[in-house]
This record gives sequence, C-alpha cells and structure tokens, in this order.
Amino acid sequence: MECRDMICLIHEYLDGDTDELANLQLQTHIESCVSCRQHMHELQRAIAFVQSASHIHVSSDFTARVLAQLPAPTKANLLSGWLRNHPFLTAAAVFLFLMTGSVLNSWFDQDDTLQVSSANLDKLKIDRERNVVVVPAGTNINGDLVVRNGNIDVQGHVTGNVVAIEGKVFVASTAQVAGNTESIEAIVDWIWYEVKNIGNDLLPILP
Amino acid sequence: MDFVEKRLTQRAKRGDREAFAELIEIYKDKIFQLAYRMVGNRQDAEDIAQETFLRVYANLHSYDDSYKFSTWIYRIATNLCIDRGRKKRPDFSLDEETEPGQGLDWYSRLSSNERTPEDKVVTQELQETVQDALSHLQPKYRSIMILRYIEDLSLQEISDIVKLPITTIKTRIHRGREALRSKLRLM
Repeated sequence: MECRDMICLIHEYLDGDTDELANLQLQTHIESCVSCRQHMHELQRAIAFVQSASHIHVSSDFTARVLAQLPAPTKANLLSGWLRNHPFLTAAAVFLFLMTGSVLNSWFDQDDTLQVSSANLDKLKIDRERNVVVVPAGTNINGDLVVRNGNIDVQGHVTGNVVAIEGKVFVASTAQVAGNTESIEAIVDWIWYEVKNIGNDLLPILP
Repeated sequence: MDFVEKRLTQRAKRGDREAFAELIEIYKDKIFQLAYRMVGNRQDAEDIAQETFLRVYANLHSYDDSYKFSTWIYRIATNLCIDRGRKKRPDFSLDEETEPGQGLDWYSRLSSNERTPEDKVVTQELQETVQDALSHLQPKYRSIMILRYIEDLSLQEISDIVKLPITTIKTRIHRGREALRSKLRLM
C-alpha cells in the first residue's frame, strides 16, 4: 500500500473508525516507513497540543451581567411566577372570587316584586298594596317563612325562622316564632346571612 | 443531566429567570471557551458568550426540546463566532475604561493566575502557539477542531451542531489536523 493511502488510514485511525485488520495493516506499515511514522506522530502531537489548551474561565460576574441585560419580565410573567410560588394563596383567592361572585349575583339578580316562600302559602294573607305578608292570628305555619321585598306581620305561630329581605319583621304580642326573626336590608347583611346559612348547613348539630 | 436540562429549559421557557441563570452557569465556560478559541481575545469572547445567552433567551419559545439543548446553544455560539469574524470590529485597547468615569480599565477584568514567573512564561508560550495555530485555520475548520478537541464533542454532535453530514465533518477534521500538524511540527 502506498504512503498516500496510509495517511487516509491514519486519519481514520485517529477518528476511531478502523477495524482490527486496518489497525494491523497500519502498524506493520508504520514500523517499516519512517516518513509515515513521523507523520502520525506529528498529528498526534498536534492533537495533544490543542487538547492541552488550558481551560479558561469567564469572569465571575458574567451570569449577573447577562441576567441584567435580559428584557424586563412582563407583568403576566411576574403574576404567573407569584401564583406558582404561592399555590395556597392562589387557591384561596380563586375560592373567594367565585364565592363573592355567586353571593353578589344572588343579590343583584332579584327584582322588586314581592316574593314569598313558605310551606303553607294558603294560610298567609298577602297585602300587595302595602307589601305586607300577614300571618293571621291563630294560624300555624310549619317551617321557615322568607319574604323578599316586603314586610312581615306575624300574629300567629311560625315553627321555623322568619326572614324579611329588604323588609321588616313585625312581631305582634300574640305571635310565637320558634326560630329567629331577621330583617335583611343591606348587602352586608345579605352576605352575612348567606355565610351564616353555609355555616349552619355545614354544622347542623350546633344550635 | 439531560433530564435536568430539560426541566430547566421548560422552566426558563415559561419565564423563570432562576432556571435560566442555572442554564447560564452550566454553559458559560463552555461557550466562552469556544468563543475565546475562535476569536482569540477575552473581551470579544465574553461579548459573544453574552450575546449567545441573550439570543438563547429571546428564542427559547422556538427551541424544540426533542433535541439536545447543548446542540442548540453550541450552534448559536458557533454562528455568532463566524459572523463576528466576517465583520471584524475595530480592535479596542485594554487601557480603555470599562465604563467612563469609573477609572477601571479592562486590565481589571482579566483574571490573574497565581504561578511562578517562569512557569507562566512557558505555559504562556505554549498557549500562544496553540492559539496562533488555531487562528491560522479557516473559521469553518477552526470551529470544528475546537468542538472536537477542546469541547470534546462526538462527531455526531458536531454534525448536528453545524447541520452538515458526518462525512463532511470528517473531511474537515482531517484537513484541520493536517494544517495544525504543519503549523506545530517545528515546536
């Protein structure tokens, strides 16, 4: 084999691409050929030189300088970063937001007409002109009585709560109310009422 | 390692600066080394390294993490080095002040290695010879020789970085080796 082909073989050897047979071929040639031996030696030395190039390090404040040059984080990024770092506060905020929404919704969705909810509607006297719902003396209402946009005049018996939303509750001396009487007029009261209801539903054992 | 980098790039993609800072820490010396061997001076090399990371940050959204992050960052750095060589900026002086009015010149940024003076001279000479031999190579050979022998990358990874077939990489490495040999044989 000629020396020119051998040089190619040397490069393949340096890339680790030669098999056993080629290695043997190369070795026998190099033992007999001074110029090829010299050539290979010089190549290996050149590689070693380059590999010996000392590993230099970048100045110590490099990272800080790069970070300082990054474009300012957008508000969205800041917000999402904060949310990621505070998962419980995030959950609490979402919960509060949804709760407030649903409570406010149930307040503002109402219209101005008189609404009565009770299990014994037939026993009630409803005076639409004065916007008063009367529980006549001697009658017995089972369960709660809730009136929206009107007053309640209780003269008889009610076994549950009596609640007037945006109205007042008048209790006559003859009346007997087993539960609470409540007048809800402002939004704050409404929210308090809703929260209390949730609390009562969650803790049915407590009085 | 790959797993850690994947996590870091995903976090950095979402705008997490801490994750990006960790990526800088992993790659800053490698990229600086490549740039320094390509351009031959510290300041230009730091500029290139800095520009590399800024480009990485700006293009994170287009990074496809199905292939290695190292391949991508080496490609950006290699391209920047070759571009820098094309439009060579005017040389600047180490005596120049880093920032006007602070009285600091660029010498203050150079790291000092505590060694004996003779030691220093010998290593210095050797280093300069290697750097000189590299600088005589054409950039397309120089970059590949640096990636192969200083960054110690496989032929396959170099082929991915410069987007050329392995056979081309081999040819360039063969020619690069021959050029370095004729430069360094008289040492």
